[in-house]
Amino acid sequence: MDHTYIEENQIADRYVQGTLPERDAEQFEEHYLSCPACLDRLDLAESMQRGFIRMAAQDAEKLSAARQLAVVAWLVRLSRSRQIGVLLTAVLVFAFVPVGLSLRGIAERGRELAQARTALAEKAALRTELEASRRDLASERKAREEASNLLAQALQPQGNVPILFFDVERGAGPAGEPTQRLKRPEGGGWIFLDVTIEAPTRQPYGAVLRDAHGTELWRRADLRLSGRDSLSLLLPASLVPPGDYSLSIEGQAPGGKPTAAGTFTFRVLPSA
Amino acid sequence: MRDPARNVLPFSENPEKGRPGSRPSGDKVDDKDPRDEAAVAADIVRRIAEGDVTAEEELFERYRRGLLRLLRHLGAQPDLAEDLLQHTLCTALKRLRGEGLAEPERLAGFLCHTARNLYFNDRRKTVRRQTWSDSGELAQAVAPSPSQLDSILRDELAAKVRRLIEELPIERDRQVLRRFYLLGEPKERICADLGLDSLDFNRVLSRARKRFKDLFES
Repeated sequence: MDHTYIEENQIADRYVQGTLPERDAEQFEEHYLSCPACLDRLDLAESMQRGFIRMAAQDAEKLSAARQLAVVAWLVRLSRSRQIGVLLTAVLVFAFVPVGLSLRGIAERGRELAQARTALAEKAALRTELEASRRDLASERKAREEASNLLAQALQPQGNVPILFFDVERGAGPAGEPTQRLKRPEGGGWIFLDVTIEAPTRQPYGAVLRDAHGTELWRRADLRLSGRDSLSLLLPASLVPPGDYSLSIEGQAPGGKPTAAGTFTFRVLPSA
Repeated sequence: MRDPARNVLPFSENPEKGRPGSRPSGDKVDDKDPRDEAAVAADIVRRIAEGDVTAEEELFERYRRGLLRLLRHLGAQPDLAEDLLQHTLCTALKRLRGEGLAEPERLAGFLCHTARNLYFNDRRKTVRRQTWSDSGELAQAVAPSPSQLDSILRDELAAKVRRLIEELPIERDRQVLRRFYLLGEPKERICADLGLDSLDFNRVLSRARKRFKDLFES
């Protein structure tokens, strides 16, 4: 930091005013510590600044005094009744202005309170909605997890699959006692049904599974015969809790009327 | 005295230097070569390390006024500034007599740093110890009222500034001084508002300073 820079950038004046950036101030301090010329500059700058401030203060004092004198002179020129009027007005102003301001403040606080209450109510409603959404999300996640587990289980190779071979029983009907029985596999799994069709000419076939009350549990169309003139069905064990069931097969020749190809009954027994 | 150890320097000084309203000296402004400062500082540091007592006196003479100014600028009252000056020089001497400085040519920086640390330590101690029981005492500590002498000196300064302003023939120059010294506005804003360039601004300020100095010396 040299004197040309200090002079051109009013470093001493700005240092005294406190407007010099901290880094520049530190550099200047290191410089002036052993520099009589800059210390003189600082003294001069400080004196000038103090002089200006004092002059401004004096001017302000004079102005204030002049205004007060003007008010007093004006009051003196007024008649006594007007002086009393001015006095009363001043008293009223000093008494009522603070009250008015307080009332205004109270009204503003009231409005702010109402707004705050509305905001709180909105917040509570939003929170309730959020909690409901969270519950829905949790149940959806649970359902998805169960479905994933089932899918994973289904994709695993299966063993101990119960198999029923159905042949047409002469004279048997939906109301008859089931002659075919099987044990429901433990822990879910699958049941395989092999249904032999007599006079297999009316392909494709449809199958309808009903429980003992005749309630339809499952239906499937477009079934094709295997090489052994039989239909192969794989049912999830969860579809058939222990009880009696009937499986109706219909021929569904294109353009023709559906024809019954046989009804097969079976009983599912509880596992062990 | 705050600390007996601070009295070990038997140096004389001019108490009027740095007081509010004190007359700026009329020394001729010489340009200080920073290389000279570095060389002188390194020489002082070396000689003090070698036990040269005259170097210690030179250290005080060279840096006393600047350190006092720095401490006053930080906010120390005159008595405290004197105490802290002594303490700063004691601390510096102990260091220079002992381990010395890693960068002897930056002696001024080291002194500034020491003075600043001592001032802020002192302020922290004062704040911790002080309990205010009287509001008048508190007001006095926050904004100490000027003495009668200070008031007179400030009135004199104001009169000189008023005269300086009245002597200026151009209203624009008066505005420059008011806005810079009174309102503390930055140079760039003043120049932009009044249509001045940097050289004009510097010229106005330089003339005003010179005239103010003349008024002081008259």
